[in-house]
Amino acid sequence: MAHVMTHPAPGGSQTPRRRRAWRDTLIGWSFILPNFLGFALFTLVPVLAAFALAFMEWDSANDPEWVGLENFARLWNDENFHVALRNTIYYSAGHIPLTLAAALGLAMALNRRLRGVEFFRTAAFFPYVTSLVAVAVVWNMLFNPTAGPVNLFLEAIGVQDPPRWVASTDWAMPAVIATSVWRDMGYYMVLYLAGLQTIPKEYYEAAMVDGANAWQRFWRITIPSLRPTTFFVLVMLTIQSFKVLDLIVVMTDGGPGRSTLVLAQLIFREGIREGEFGYSSAIALVLFLLVFTVTVVQFRINERRSS
Amino acid sequence: MIPSNPPKARVRRHLVKTAGVAAALALAVAACGGGGSGETAEGGGSTTLTITVWNLAKTPEFTALFDAFEKANPGVTVKPADILADDYPEKVTTMLAGGDKTDVITMKNVTDYSRYSARGQLLDITDMVKSTDTSKLAGLDAFNVNDSYFALPYRQDFWLLYYNKAMFDKANIKLDGPITWDDYAKYAQQLSQGDGNQKVYGTYHHTWRSVIQAISAAQTGGDQLSGDYNFFADQYNMALGLQKGGNALDFGTATAQQADYRTMFETAATAMMPMGTWYISGILEAKEKGESQVDWALAPMPQRPGATDVTTFGSPTAFAVNKRSENADLARKFVQFAASKAGAEAITKVGVVPALQDPAITEAYFGLKGMPADDLSKKAFEPDKVVLEMPVSDKTSDVDTILNEEHQLIMVGDKSVTEGIKSMSDRVKSEVLN
Repeated sequence: MAHVMTHPAPGGSQTPRRRRAWRDTLIGWSFILPNFLGFALFTLVPVLAAFALAFMEWDSANDPEWVGLENFARLWNDENFHVALRNTIYYSAGHIPLTLAAALGLAMALNRRLRGVEFFRTAAFFPYVTSLVAVAVVWNMLFNPTAGPVNLFLEAIGVQDPPRWVASTDWAMPAVIATSVWRDMGYYMVLYLAGLQTIPKEYYEAAMVDGANAWQRFWRITIPSLRPTTFFVLVMLTIQSFKVLDLIVVMTDGGPGRSTLVLAQLIFREGIREGEFGYSSAIALVLFLLVFTVTVVQFRINERRSS
Repeated sequence: MIPSNPPKARVRRHLVKTAGVAAALALAVAACGGGGSGETAEGGGSTTLTITVWNLAKTPEFTALFDAFEKANPGVTVKPADILADDYPEKVTTMLAGGDKTDVITMKNVTDYSRYSARGQLLDITDMVKSTDTSKLAGLDAFNVNDSYFALPYRQDFWLLYYNKAMFDKANIKLDGPITWDDYAKYAQQLSQGDGNQKVYGTYHHTWRSVIQAISAAQTGGDQLSGDYNFFADQYNMALGLQKGGNALDFGTATAQQADYRTMFETAATAMMPMGTWYISGILEAKEKGESQVDWALAPMPQRPGATDVTTFGSPTAFAVNKRSENADLARKFVQFAASKAGAEAITKVGVVPALQDPAITEAYFGLKGMPADDLSKKAFEPDKVVLEMPVSDKTSDVDTILNEEHQLIMVGDKSVTEGIKSMSDRVKSEVLN
């Protein structure tokens, strides 16, 4: 500042200002540099390398060989890929709306003055911080086809032939989805709680004066006011659902047969187990494009609604 | 360290400093990333040997073998790299791909061996194998890759029938020779009893596909890589029949509760159990520690009707030298030691079946505290033919995946035996053999 003031020449002020802007930028960059370096080294470079690998054949020991689009041609005809893609979409189609609804419901229920509400909020959040392996093992026990509490309960209320859950190709995926909804809803509930608390009370008061019932207030005030939160939750849930791996590996390992085999698992299997890193990268690239496209569409829809 | 709002006059100096810090950080990060793991061998002939193992605490053979090797080679220290058993193949694959220098790599199964050797990640030790007397070394053939060897087996497991002697006595069933699968199914029905938590099953089939498939292949001469799987049918029908009749824990339940075969047998929840010889050391240990009171004995694997010989399946475990080892001489010495008589004696003491087959060693084996002493148990230990669990080829692991998936579908009742076998054949032919 002192520098500029001692040289008040009218024509010369532009150069120092530009230089100063550059300095500020550089300083700014230098602050994020350590973080960026970590990201570049451990995320960006490997991701770009994986993109390149998708067009090669590589067994991890010898030099990779350029094969062009061969991996993608193989993908197109690979039944395992089709099965995994279908299952991933099935999982997402169940997990996204159910988690969203459960999280919103919980948040509405716990967003009121109630004795012990903190306890219930903590209880709802608890599954999210519990070790996933423990969650999967316990739910597997609950879903035990012969002696599990879920089926004992169903039998007690008169269900003649309860589903065999993880031991059945038709019911394994619903069992996984139920577990994952239970696990994730607490986290998204917290986001919704934050969203709910930003809605001014005056809106509701005004609506009540105008004679709106609870249902109308929910649809006309709560839902529209929560749109930014819902958008964020939807994007996060979509990304999370498409790359699901851990829960499925521990609960069913893709079985019975291929009934819960998902894309992330196929990537792991083809890459690490079969040593086909090129092919595995090609599947990963497809998964990336899939998630990317869905997210972009979500952003577009959100922009259109905002304007 | 860096003031958040530096006076402008000192910006340049700070910028230089900041850049310096950032560069130093980058270097440090790069050093971490590029350094790689593995032991560095200082100078010529290091005396520390690193070896990959799984579940060190629960696999006593490793410690027994390492102690014996250290004793035979004063000054040498063996440093095991312990890996979770379930993750072992994936972890080793990743280690080797990352240029790891661990000296000796344990070959947990033959399929992985064929992959590592094909990729050129293991040291060729053909000269050593050819100069050693391998006539008594069981399972060596499995490691022959076009007349070259990259590993030497030190243990050879095969499958036999474990049974609860007390339950057999109580039911007045006396085993005095190899039984057929029909007898086996009949006994399983006779020995099942109780309900709920007190339920005792006649037999327990673990969820692995080999329980059905590998034994069928071994006893019918079928080829698991052929794409034609009708030879599985009898075994599947028998297993499903027992499961349906409540004489064996049902597959879906076993999977859902991640049933542990050790618990099934040691808590007397089953009267019989076909399983590999590796489990002997497990029972001995459980009984020694007082964790189990099971009164057990061994019988040969049940046979198909009309069989004259005892045929079962098995698989060897071996040590190989990492091609990147900086300590290859010592590593080779260890591999040879493990396959030798001294190595065999060391692992026999903890109840593990060595690859080196020698009457003296078998005798020492049955001399172990807690081993059953009857003749049938000893006979079970000398099967006439041990067929390799799964043939080795570059198709093995793809076929394995398909056979395993279809196995699950048959066992949970999603597909009939005929449908399941048909889709195994169709899928192997179209996805792998085409």
